[in-house]
Amino acid sequence: MKDLPQTVFVVDDDDAVRDSLRMLLKSAGVHAEACASAQEFLTSYDASQPGCLVLDVRMPGMSGLEMQHELNLRGLTMPVIFITGHGDIPMAVEAMQHGAFDFLQKPFRDQELLDRVQRALVRDMENRARLRHTDRIRERLASLSPREREVLDLVTQGKANKMVAGDLGVSQRTVEIHRAHVMQKMEAGSLAELVRMMMAVAPSP
Amino acid sequence: MTAPTPEVLALLEATLDAVVIMDDRGRIEAFNASAEVMFGYRAADALGRNVNMLMTAVDRIGHDDHLRRYLAGGESRVLGRGRDVRVQHRDGSEFSVFLSVGRIQNTSPPRFVGFLHDTSLRQKALATLEKERQVNRLYLDLAQVMLVATDRNGVVQLANQRAIRVLKREHAAIVDSNWLESCVAPDDRTIARAAFRSLLVSGNDEPQVCEYHVRSSDGEDRFITWRGVALRDADNFATGVMLSGEDITDQRRAESEAHRALERMNSVARLATMGEMAAGISHELNQPLAAIANYAQACVRFLRLPKHDLPEIAGALEQIASQALRAGEIIRRIRSLVRNEDVRRETQDVNELIREVHGLLASDARVHDGKLALDLTSPLPSVTVDGVQIQQVLMNLVHNAFEAQAPEHDGAPFEVRIATRCTDSGDVEVSVSDLGPGLAGEAEQKIFEPFFTTKASGTGLGLAISRSIIKAHDARLGYRANQPRGACFYFVLPAHQEAPS
Repeated sequence: MKDLPQTVFVVDDDDAVRDSLRMLLKSAGVHAEACASAQEFLTSYDASQPGCLVLDVRMPGMSGLEMQHELNLRGLTMPVIFITGHGDIPMAVEAMQHGAFDFLQKPFRDQELLDRVQRALVRDMENRARLRHTDRIRERLASLSPREREVLDLVTQGKANKMVAGDLGVSQRTVEIHRAHVMQKMEAGSLAELVRMMMAVAPSP
Repeated sequence: MTAPTPEVLALLEATLDAVVIMDDRGRIEAFNASAEVMFGYRAADALGRNVNMLMTAVDRIGHDDHLRRYLAGGESRVLGRGRDVRVQHRDGSEFSVFLSVGRIQNTSPPRFVGFLHDTSLRQKALATLEKERQVNRLYLDLAQVMLVATDRNGVVQLANQRAIRVLKREHAAIVDSNWLESCVAPDDRTIARAAFRSLLVSGNDEPQVCEYHVRSSDGEDRFITWRGVALRDADNFATGVMLSGEDITDQRRAESEAHRALERMNSVARLATMGEMAAGISHELNQPLAAIANYAQACVRFLRLPKHDLPEIAGALEQIASQALRAGEIIRRIRSLVRNEDVRRETQDVNELIREVHGLLASDARVHDGKLALDLTSPLPSVTVDGVQIQQVLMNLVHNAFEAQAPEHDGAPFEVRIATRCTDSGDVEVSVSDLGPGLAGEAEQKIFEPFFTTKASGTGLGLAISRSIIKAHDARLGYRANQPRGACFYFVLPAHQEAPS
């Protein structure tokens, strides 16, 4: 499951542009799939497939910007590289403001595209790894008992066992046992590691 | 027997009826020329013979008896009343005649004269006439047009099959009815009546054309083009009219649909400002160029690989060729668009041109939540321009003006004003002004340069093209600051000079 091949999804309504992009990527050894419309992509895409998107800003039906918005709504984090024409720069700027990975003005040099694609694929890999990591932490957190969770929250705030015992109204020995369970269940080797884990799953400010 | 007077002889010979005189025993005493023709006997051969030789076998028997009974004081079934009888030609063929027999007065023994009118000829003529009528009827019915004849009062005398089909009425329901009242659509009766009268009073036989609706029995109105001529008697007196009508309802419908489609297309084309057009064109041209670049670069990469996938490379090269052709086609289209093959300079009233596009401009105003004001001086000298091009420039300027104000919308009156005035030199100035931010130093210098734009999504071509259009009209598109604020674009069109005669 872990190592699905990375795929570049090309979404462009122009047959020639779409096919030429697919072929260019193929010539560089990049696996690419092409869709003629945003709708086609959204109905066929499986979120577990890693990769990135190469998207035309201007498309009939759902435009590239609208598709980006839709991806954001669905919580899909795949990096998006926009391809724009001459008059579309403002649109590209807007896309970047909404979290697009990069944009390219066509026509473009192959290396420009391939570099961006490579960077986007690396970004996606990192995103997915991070996602897997936080997913694991959340799973472990879910396995804690309510009392263990209380102990975890207090020790990661930097409180010593004695203070935790005082806060919770239990013996210091009881806290030590809970704490040992927490470290074991969270698979944390040290308090510092536990703190990092909690920061990774904390909602971003 | 007394010899006939010359007058009697002349009468006998002149009449087209056969005249046969017989004596009291039925012997023929006179046999005129028509009788000779009718029966095939010469008078010399007929004279003295029994008249019953002219009769068919059925009548021959008993004719002598009948004659004797009459002479003995009996009743006559023949005298004084005509009747149709069958008679026999010398060659044995039978035919019908109308026979009237009279007794010649004051002769003894009594003698009789018979007039025989060849009804078979008449019947033949009637049959021929009937046949002709049928053929004519066939002609009428074969015609793909409606054919209707009326008398002077508009009472229908004749209507062909086509007319029957269009009107969806029985022949009998049309004939003898009043054309105007029973078949013409009520709203069109005035037109139809005028056309009808015009036909009756017109001196010549040139067909007159008019168009009006007829109403069918199920209430449907059909639009008909009529060609009418007056029917005349020997004295050239108009006794009625003959109309041939072509049902153009469907044709008209198709025409008006095509017309509406064209109107729609025109307004769409006008609505698209030149800037938008240019953006569309550059986008369109970018597509094949991007595809060509991609394919070519893919080919290079494929060729650098240790193993060549030649079919794939060949496919990409074919694509390059066809995309280059596609780009060429786009350029050809632009050229024909720019060349303006249909440029037509006409003497025009600028105010009228502005009013024509006012609706479209007002809808642009609504889109931008603004107002469009017209400040037109009237009357203006007329100008010789291509109206559509001037309208395009106006649309472009107005569109720009609204866009210039859009981001600045601060509750100030959001208005674009089109003004016309007559300059001191007698020419026509048209200006489009707004209350937007106006143009700052650098922009004022560069505003007419191609590809210069202050708009986020502009191409910088609209004003450049507008200026070249105005320049082609021997005028200049200029800019000045608007009072109290905003921008004002204007052009001055030379007044139309009457050609010296």
